[in-house]
Amino acid sequence: MLFGRAKKNPIKIADKGVVEWKYTTCGYCSTGCSIEVGVNEDGVAVSSRGIGGAHVNQGKLCLKGIFEHELFKSSGRGSHPMVRAKRFLPWHAVSWDEALDKVSGEIKRIQSTYGRDAFAIVSTGQIMTEEFYTLGKLARGVIGTNNYDGNTTLCMSSAVSGYKRSFGSDGPPGCYDDFSHTECLMAFGSNLPEQHPVIYWRLKTALEQRKFPVIVVDPRVTMFAQMADVHLAIQPGTDVVLLNAMAHVILKEGLHDQAYIDAHCSDFETFRALVEQYDPDTAAPICGIDADTIRNVARTYAKAGAAMSIWTMGINQSTHGSDGVVGINNLNLITGNIGKPGGTSLSITGQSNAMGTREWSSASGLPGYRALEKEKDREEIAKYWNIDPEFLPKKRGLFQTDIFPAIETGQIKGLWIVATNPMTSMANTSRIRKILEKLDFLVVQDAYQDVETTQYADVYLPAAIWAEKEGCFTNTERRVNLTRNAQTPYAESKPDLWIFTQLAKRFEQAKNMKWPEKAEGVFDELRELSKGRFLDYSGMSYDKIEQNRGIQWPCNAETAPDGSPRLYVDGVFNHEDGRAKLIPLPFVDNNERPDGEFPFWLNTGRVVEHFHTRTRTGKIGNLNKFSPTPYMEINPDAGARLGIRHGEYVRVTSRRGDAVVMAQFTQRVPPNMVFIPFHFHDCVNRLTLGLLDPHSRQPAYKQSACRVERIEEQSAAARRNHDARAF
Amino acid sequence: MFPVRSDEPRYTRIPDVPHPEANRYGRSIETVPEGHALRGASLNINGDAGVGGNPNRYKQHGFYFNADNCIACHACESACSEKNDMPPHLAFRSVGYVEGGTYPDFRRVNISMACNHCDNPVCLKGCPTRAYTKFAEYGAVLQDPDICFGCGYCTWVCPYNAPQLDPVKGQVSKCNMCVDRLEVGLKPACASACLAGALDFGIIETTPENREQLETRIPGFPTPEITQPNVRFQQTRSLPSEMGRTDVMPIKYVKQDDGSYRSELSKAEKARHWNLAKLRSREDPLVIFTLVTQAVVGAFLALFLGGLLGVEALQPERHPVAHALFLVALLGVETFALALSTLHLGKPHRFYRAFNNLRYSPVSREVAGVAVFYNALGAYTVFTVLPGLFGWLPAAWVQNTGLLFGGAACVAGPAAIWFMHRIYRIPARPFWNHWQVLASFFGSVLSLGAIVVALVFGSLSGDAVLLRGLAAMAVAGLVLEAAGLYCHARDLRAGVGEAQAAHHLQITVYGEAYLARNLLLGAGVLLALGTPWLGLPGWWALALVWLPASAIGRALFYVLVIPTTMPGAFFWRNRGFQEHARATGLAEMPQVGVVPDAH
Repeated sequence: MLFGRAKKNPIKIADKGVVEWKYTTCGYCSTGCSIEVGVNEDGVAVSSRGIGGAHVNQGKLCLKGIFEHELFKSSGRGSHPMVRAKRFLPWHAVSWDEALDKVSGEIKRIQSTYGRDAFAIVSTGQIMTEEFYTLGKLARGVIGTNNYDGNTTLCMSSAVSGYKRSFGSDGPPGCYDDFSHTECLMAFGSNLPEQHPVIYWRLKTALEQRKFPVIVVDPRVTMFAQMADVHLAIQPGTDVVLLNAMAHVILKEGLHDQAYIDAHCSDFETFRALVEQYDPDTAAPICGIDADTIRNVARTYAKAGAAMSIWTMGINQSTHGSDGVVGINNLNLITGNIGKPGGTSLSITGQSNAMGTREWSSASGLPGYRALEKEKDREEIAKYWNIDPEFLPKKRGLFQTDIFPAIETGQIKGLWIVATNPMTSMANTSRIRKILEKLDFLVVQDAYQDVETTQYADVYLPAAIWAEKEGCFTNTERRVNLTRNAQTPYAESKPDLWIFTQLAKRFEQAKNMKWPEKAEGVFDELRELSKGRFLDYSGMSYDKIEQNRGIQWPCNAETAPDGSPRLYVDGVFNHEDGRAKLIPLPFVDNNERPDGEFPFWLNTGRVVEHFHTRTRTGKIGNLNKFSPTPYMEINPDAGARLGIRHGEYVRVTSRRGDAVVMAQFTQRVPPNMVFIPFHFHDCVNRLTLGLLDPHSRQPAYKQSACRVERIEEQSAAARRNHDARAF
Repeated sequence: MFPVRSDEPRYTRIPDVPHPEANRYGRSIETVPEGHALRGASLNINGDAGVGGNPNRYKQHGFYFNADNCIACHACESACSEKNDMPPHLAFRSVGYVEGGTYPDFRRVNISMACNHCDNPVCLKGCPTRAYTKFAEYGAVLQDPDICFGCGYCTWVCPYNAPQLDPVKGQVSKCNMCVDRLEVGLKPACASACLAGALDFGIIETTPENREQLETRIPGFPTPEITQPNVRFQQTRSLPSEMGRTDVMPIKYVKQDDGSYRSELSKAEKARHWNLAKLRSREDPLVIFTLVTQAVVGAFLALFLGGLLGVEALQPERHPVAHALFLVALLGVETFALALSTLHLGKPHRFYRAFNNLRYSPVSREVAGVAVFYNALGAYTVFTVLPGLFGWLPAAWVQNTGLLFGGAACVAGPAAIWFMHRIYRIPARPFWNHWQVLASFFGSVLSLGAIVVALVFGSLSGDAVLLRGLAAMAVAGLVLEAAGLYCHARDLRAGVGEAQAAHHLQITVYGEAYLARNLLLGAGVLLALGTPWLGLPGWWALALVWLPASAIGRALFYVLVIPTTMPGAFFWRNRGFQEHARATGLAEMPQVGVVPDAH
């Protein structure tokens, strides 16, 4: 054998000089991976690694987690609070006192002039649970606006709504461990390998140990679709029809679990009457797949000893989002697949703490899954917070997607945006621009000053990011996990918790309330407020969470000291009668469909290397390099007909606006559909329509119509694309 | 030693499993036998003198890639880049893909590839500085950036795009097999990070748990015959009969009767372009270096041998000043060419390391050949131009020593050109791996050498014998060049996909330039044949026609080559996107992962 040199130099391998590993939970998606952040002897974060003994990820991380330590030094971070007199004037840095005085002053001015609800707050799914709770206390208990919501309306609102309608409460009933028990898995509009690669790994590992059928419903041939045993490439927006038809087959062929239905469900007969109309032959032409496939899938699912469904934005982001979730719940209820190992309706959540905001932020109600509509809940919270119960509204106010139209028509004059970027994330960007222009006052609180929404802000508050703070996230499977402080906040940025409490102090009403300075102090309030409730936190503490690598609620000292993997194990649901509702789902197609003028379906979605509006991942080269600029998947046959070429820039136009993207020819998409990732600013959301779901008010990002045009002047297109990319 | 965590998951441990004695190429999997001198030594990783406790330390290890399972999540690439602290524009491991079929019957096969720590490490052999070592420990092929001088030759010879030439640092680095992790029994960072059950690692020729194949080929992967790579594959799911690439390379992989996939040209674009600006490349200095060296060798051969053959005009005493100046000028331009080729290195101050691998590297041999020629030419010049320096020696001695050096240069020059041609005979670069390189290089020796001598000495004397001789030499060179090009084009068309694709680029993207060069070459042959009648103006016309044509031809030689390397993705590892990012300014954002052009 040839060895080369006999006399060898010592081998050099990069050594980052980690002296200590700090316990954290990933701040990107809601898989909830446990990460250790390595700091060197100067205290600088230099490395990240998955925690070997963590339930969720067992040492694995996706690429975003692998580079998460690079967030702390990423470009575009806000260093000082900034204020400007007019939006066309330059920013100037001010002290925190000055900035917060300005914000509280404007809130008071707007509220006293136009009414309490004229100031709106839109928050996020990214900050810690303790921060959400404190923001809720401030919004509901001090500022007292009812127009307070989170950007979770853009991602999880349909799941929340569907869970509430079916089971009487929010809260995903299953867990990742169900992969190891299920005998059939059906994924609706969920592309795990791209969106939740670590959950995919859990699934793949379970499949390698014990094979079971995997059915993927997705109009694109995603990697997940490719790996599936059955791929149902249905027409966009027709999931409800498919679900009704599956229920039809199951009931018709007597494959349902009558005993479970009798014991635990209500309204079976009205449900049966409705699905009677959806025989597979009726459904097939609507869904664009054949009737026998529908029958086969329905039988496979119903005959499995335990079967589970997962779904993500393919269901949620639709005009039938909430109905889609209910349809999945219906499927699992009639087959007795709720609350048992391997049988569940598991919504795969988007943001790291979408669950935390659902549970504790008071955005859609009151903390701990309490409702504004319930007098008892209002009184409990008012007493705990030491405020007058009458200060709380008796009905939920506007959703995020209704707050913007209310600004458009002048009911709302001031807006506080926390860690979200509607300038890139909301459908129909040009409308959002016009809306933001109309505001009397906009304050943006974000870790990044270059977040595009600051273009319209009067005040910018620089927030600390992820492990510059301390606190908890709840993941998709209700696992509460901890992030310890690993870095001091960048420059003058401050933890969101600090910003909320300091702002609260500027209001009279807050003076008689408790505002714990430390996250752990806030966590004690969560434990007290949840004791004995559905989402019981009372058995948790920071140290115990870290020790257990996360704990799934409910967790209490008496019955579940180490948490609970599943909900509704006893078949008792949270509706008044303790039963789950089987809800009939009539289908009306109200989507903008392709036509002669706009012949393509416009589909949107995520890519694995980016998160949301790229404010973080667009700055980390080792992530961003995999898709540094916007592109569009288009079928080569369609491309050839249009005279465009692979790798060229093309113009995509809808009834809302246009976008320039690079064409990527692939048979992954059908000839009448294009797919554009949603992460890029001034791109696909200039085109999307975003019709709203009637229950969840979630926008349908994935169903609208567009046209594709060739661009003669490629260099001009390249320039336009380049100029639209600040990062 | 690499710290092993108390909660290290089972999947990160390298299984200690039985393995065959030898691999499929007949090589022992045990790298060195018990008691061998290479046993028991420390790898000295970052100065740690410890010896790892891995029981299979002296067995060839390799990656295992299950192409059925890869989802292109980039976890392997990222874990590698994180561990090795890589800047965005470089990566030891990369994932690209091939895809085929028609919606919804569509398949994409992602391929994750790093170094294959080959049995026949062509990088190690090619490296002139001996920066590469194949370690008895794990059979790892490691490269030492502190020895490397950044010539990038290893990046040419490797079929897998494993060595990474960093244009910023001017040096190569590559996958180190995570030998620090191997020492403590852990799989490399990439294999430990895989989220899809695709990438694995272990003793070569062993099938991981739950896997059933030990293939050496999958569509998109170059033939294993070049290097005998230590990588094994699984690919059991049926694939469409044609798999295409998304990157700019016009190549597809077509299923053969035996089930394997062969690369073929995939585009039928017909339009011809000039694209003269795109002829500029990182290898510009080599265009000049090779042409100048060939011209100098040719001119010297003509001058020296012509003189020996008694051509009147070429006798030193016939035009003593011109003759002297001519020799000095040859030395001067060659010095300039050598300087250019040195500055082309990432680390020019390490140029002296070029001779370190005479045993294997054609680069070392070429450099040695050119150095001998250059010195002999220098010595000959001194003895010829300044015989007075040696006045204290008998005149015959001086003359004979001069002749000796001249003779040495006559041997060393062609030898250098031979080795220069050997550099390009790279199996992973089918466009180059053809005798046309030899024909072109010696063709240039003849044609350029003849032109230079004719223009100088023909002008001085108008010696008809000389000019006829030189005309014969030029015609021979040009015809040789033309014959090489003709056969090259013919063989490229019939060759593997990368050869076909390079030829396709030649006649489309650079079609006008290619055509112009060929027409100029034809014109050159006619002019050279006509010089006996046309006289000096004919030679000037020939020079005007053939010098730019030579430059275009040589530039084409460098830009046209398409390596048999791994398919890229749409952005990452796509030469088309890299060029686009540089041209449009996207590359100025470091997070785009493309380094802006230095020139």
